[in-house]
Amino acid sequence: MKKIAKDQLALLWEKIDQNYQLFLPIAKEKAVNFSTWKEGAEVDLDALRTVNSPKNIIFPQTETYLTFKKEGKKLGLEVVSRDEEYVVFGVRPCDVASFKLLDNVFLGEPVDKFYEENRQKGLIISQACLNPEETCFCNAFAINPESAPVGADVATWDLGDLLLWEAQSEKGKAFTEALSDLLEDVSEDDRKKLDEVKAGIKDKLEDLPLVHVAPEKIEGGLKEIFASEVWDELYQRCLGCGMCTYVCPTCHCYDLKDYNGNGCGERFRCWDSCMFSDFTMMAHGNPRTTQKERVRQRFMHKLVYYPNNYESYACVGCGRCTERCPVRLDIVKVIKKLGGERNEL
Amino acid sequence: MEKIKEEIRQIAREALTGKKVDIILAWEKGPLWYDSYPAFFTKEEEVDSLTWDSFCINNLSKYLLEETMADKKVGVFVKGCDALAFNQMMQDNRIRRDNVVVYGLPCPGMIDPDKVRAKRLNRGLTEVKQSGDELIFVTKDGEITVPAHEVYYDKCLYCHYPNPVVYDQLIGEKVAAETALDRSERFSQVEALEALSAEERFAYWDSQFSKCMRCFACRNVCPACSCERCTFDDDDLDILGKAREDSEDQFFHLIRAYHVVGRCIDCGECSRVCPQDIPLEKLNRKLIKDINALYGEYQAGLDPSTKAPLVTYQLEDADSFTAGEKGGKGT
Repeated sequence: MKKIAKDQLALLWEKIDQNYQLFLPIAKEKAVNFSTWKEGAEVDLDALRTVNSPKNIIFPQTETYLTFKKEGKKLGLEVVSRDEEYVVFGVRPCDVASFKLLDNVFLGEPVDKFYEENRQKGLIISQACLNPEETCFCNAFAINPESAPVGADVATWDLGDLLLWEAQSEKGKAFTEALSDLLEDVSEDDRKKLDEVKAGIKDKLEDLPLVHVAPEKIEGGLKEIFASEVWDELYQRCLGCGMCTYVCPTCHCYDLKDYNGNGCGERFRCWDSCMFSDFTMMAHGNPRTTQKERVRQRFMHKLVYYPNNYESYACVGCGRCTERCPVRLDIVKVIKKLGGERNEL
Repeated sequence: MEKIKEEIRQIAREALTGKKVDIILAWEKGPLWYDSYPAFFTKEEEVDSLTWDSFCINNLSKYLLEETMADKKVGVFVKGCDALAFNQMMQDNRIRRDNVVVYGLPCPGMIDPDKVRAKRLNRGLTEVKQSGDELIFVTKDGEITVPAHEVYYDKCLYCHYPNPVVYDQLIGEKVAAETALDRSERFSQVEALEALSAEERFAYWDSQFSKCMRCFACRNVCPACSCERCTFDDDDLDILGKAREDSEDQFFHLIRAYHVVGRCIDCGECSRVCPQDIPLEKLNRKLIKDINALYGEYQAGLDPSTKAPLVTYQLEDADSFTAGEKGGKGT
């Protein structure tokens, strides 16, 4: 395990930036988001969660696949690919877990080559959560916020003045090696301090208001839950905006569109939202004509359909919808309404 | 507010049991301290979960769009700003007045959870109680008292209409209408932008709009955005694509702002719900300021029987096509 003094981090950013596109949680006025680091950027490692999840990096909101151009009677096509390798620093354990959920979808057969390339070109550095907030409920999905999450190439812990650093994957080890002039070995004292901080997390988690969320307590199969009366009531306040789906680290529905210029254009993939009236619009019309059906689709996907396919819920308890939904129609309320709550810890 | 809450519950129960209304639109409380949200009550026994506290920020008038059009008889609770919204929707012919019973609630102001978090008052917070001009934050470790204006939404500090301007029944006593901040200051941020050069101003809005995710929360929460089908949602028209593209983000926001000119009640809901903190209120207030300058002081939603400035024509109206006249490039 390595460490670096936090006042040295600017040097670290500079060094990484020489060889990679570096994404960090950067504040722009009040909103903190993962953005490309530039000298003087306002890096905020204390912000527990960014407004947008880092899925935007591995699965961009808009991603051009190919460009096309008419050349006489022929159509010239050119595939666009990501050119630079990149590093994302400060990914929280819940967001790291969300990457695995996206991998299940895009890296299963048939493999999505664009997504695969995005994943291969990236190096993920996690940052443990030592102060979970009231909207956090990652423990409902067996995520340990203090941990070194599976899927992170490097795991880090912020101990105030120090950042502890542990390489996990081969890629992470080589990367750490290349930064060896900035990183030093940890002392026994540092390890002890980390163990103490980690041990304190359990109490903090048990103190959180959403600690009783337990999706596994939801009873009934697909058909019963689909036909449940709770949807008649739950959807009513939904405004039909797409915020929950766009800030969600696990929502992954997309649309393919062409931008058609004069004799040339681009084909791109862009996020779509099941909250929108034109979602899955087909020649015959839209299969979900009311907001009730759309709301049900979103939560059935997260709590029933996805688990049926991949044996895992499509939620990581990051709390973004809990914090942001304009009418507080968040997944916690849906899980509870469906009976997903435990009385005892 | 605790006393008023009991009164509201009683009114709701009576309205439902007496079949005065089919549905009551009010608020309910979720598991977190700031978590008050719109709720639809159809049975008397459900009313026990109805709440009224300093987090009932949501404007319920917006829901009347669907509910009254479905020919249901609706009872709705409105705060001051919600009442302006109600009137504006009336003026836009989007509500069937006969189908609605309006219960007016004088509003002391609503708490901005972000301001509470900024003060770190949220750790272990279980409840917030109102006591005159002060708020008591009840935490696991004790109580902390804070002057209310320190944590109210900015829009509440500028609010001139805390008492509903329309109602069938008013609940509780009216509150003082003096604003905590000078109301004309609403426009000081607009003036700061007006003082910039065109290039600087473009750079400012370019940077703001580039944060937009196009989730459309600003549009969907807006009481003036009451079209049955928004033109941006019409896939066949292809007016707005789904790509995150600066030009399209700008296009969306400018069209949205212009479509609500003279109808925006300045409730600030668009800014509140924006996940990326785009200051949409500045855009709206610029247009309100221009309407005031060109057509005289006007507050949308104050009186549904008057005509909005942009839907009437008078000979003495500003003429931006004549040099020297008010408006446009003539000034």
